[in-house]
Amino acid sequence: MEPMQVFHDREEFLARLRELRDAGHGWRDLDIHMPFHVHEVDEIFALPPGGVRFFALGGGVLGFAGGLAFVCYTVLSWPLITGGKPIVSVPPFLLIAYLLTILCGSLCAFGGFLLLARRPGFGEASDVDAHGDCFMVRVREEKKR
Amino acid sequence: MSQEPGLNAGPNLAPAERLERTVLAAMSRPSLRYLGALGLCGLLVLMLFAIWGVIIWQGMGIAGINHPVSWGVFITNFVFWVGIAHSGTLISAVLYLFRARFRTSFNRAAEAMTLIALSVAGLFPLIHLGRVWIFYYLLPYPSERLIWPNFRSPLVWDVFAVTTYMLVSAAFFYIGLLPDLAILRRRLQGWRSRVYGWLSLGWSGSLDEWRHYNRVYLFLAAFATPLVASVHSIVSWDFAVSIVPGWHTTIFAPYFVAGAILSGSAMVFTLTIPMRRILGLEAYIQVDHFEALAKILLFTSLIVSYSYICETALAWYHGNLFEMEQFRYRSFGDYWFLYWIMILCNSLLPLTLWRKSWRRNLRWLFILSLLVNVGMWLERFVIIVNSLAREYSPYAWGTYQVSLAELGITLGSFGLFFAMFLLFCKLLPVLSMTEIKERL
Repeated sequence: MEPMQVFHDREEFLARLRELRDAGHGWRDLDIHMPFHVHEVDEIFALPPGGVRFFALGGGVLGFAGGLAFVCYTVLSWPLITGGKPIVSVPPFLLIAYLLTILCGSLCAFGGFLLLARRPGFGEASDVDAHGDCFMVRVREEKKR
Repeated sequence: MSQEPGLNAGPNLAPAERLERTVLAAMSRPSLRYLGALGLCGLLVLMLFAIWGVIIWQGMGIAGINHPVSWGVFITNFVFWVGIAHSGTLISAVLYLFRARFRTSFNRAAEAMTLIALSVAGLFPLIHLGRVWIFYYLLPYPSERLIWPNFRSPLVWDVFAVTTYMLVSAAFFYIGLLPDLAILRRRLQGWRSRVYGWLSLGWSGSLDEWRHYNRVYLFLAAFATPLVASVHSIVSWDFAVSIVPGWHTTIFAPYFVAGAILSGSAMVFTLTIPMRRILGLEAYIQVDHFEALAKILLFTSLIVSYSYICETALAWYHGNLFEMEQFRYRSFGDYWFLYWIMILCNSLLPLTLWRKSWRRNLRWLFILSLLVNVGMWLERFVIIVNSLAREYSPYAWGTYQVSLAELGITLGSFGLFFAMFLLFCKLLPVLSMTEIKERL
């Protein structure tokens, strides 16, 4: 495998990326590693926003619906009037649904990130162990062919 | 703290290299002073668990709580520690959404503080239960008679709110740590490198990882932000939905949230001012950053002071005899001394921060942070104890004295908090290296 091109200067790294883009390479053709996220890279390759948002939205909706259904089920399974309140007391039940929206939305976003970023992933190429030290880029082998 | 040879950040190093060395130096072999501080905190923790053991063995009679003051120091501590947690989320999530650049100096320590404070807070409902072995009564499950908990009860809301807060904060903290753990994998050797490599989930900093990382960080910040307002609001409703004089008021939610951010910001000062000096982080946690945080402290102090005035004025204005008596009793009754210390610490002393020179004086900020935390602890004590000591019927009035057991457990909780923070300083990077590199 071709060794990584290493850059310690952010501008040089971005200039190289622009060259590669102009040569017809898309971001999927390249193996790019950065010590921190450089927002210009998103603009150079017009990166799509990714799928984590669907996990967050799905988790949030699931949490809200599940939370509301759960508390309604618990009071309807044995309808006991407490404190003269309605059996299905909407304001406090919305509170539980709201908290579960946040909990499930967050945990699903976290799970979605692990899935989409393919983490945990161990035993990969050792040259990426240099994370945090420099910018690195190379054209993937299969894309050269 | 002692530094390993070669870890000292030299003047000729590249900024990123200097940053990594500085953070690694903080994680190097502990000094005797560090071990001494950890040992002292460890003794306090031992005391906490020993007293708790005695309470479990002999019963709640050892604690000072009794009729009519059945919520005392344990619930005061619970509210105090949940409040401390809040500023961590404010600094890490809310300031991230507002793109406040100074947050990178504090966010790691503040997020750790959130998790640690929540862990400490979580002990107190269990201690207060007395019969801790039936703690599962708190959880939403059908009992043997197939009756579920009452979801109209604020105590059940608390379980959901604090659990959600803990899990979301933990996810946010861990996601933020991932790139830094990968740096530790590279910088350390042997088993430590392997452990941090495993914890970093094999992070390689690829474009695809960063693309999803940025989105998940944004979403977690967005999810955590409403929790800043809602968790302490829910804690305040433990009191406000009752009909106890002094508690039954609609301003409790914003009043508690502002108080939580005030005490949390103060605790960030308490932790980071010595941490900055001992670990040599002056280049990264600058006086300008402390000044920005001091403005948050001043702002929240003003909201808290407004709430003190507002609740007293409301009690006077609506003319309810019990409500008026409650606020007279708070100011001039059995616990008047604590009330006025609270006013001094939370409302008057923070006014010194109007002056720029005081906002930039780290010694004063440190002293003020300790005093504000004393004031905020007293605020919870004053609210809880005064209202219960003087409810409606004079025949049911009474006073409350803190027992030695309660005092010991309170001191132990501070020991636990500081012990866990000291361990954090040695085990994880105290600064977010990745985020600071972005602005170098």
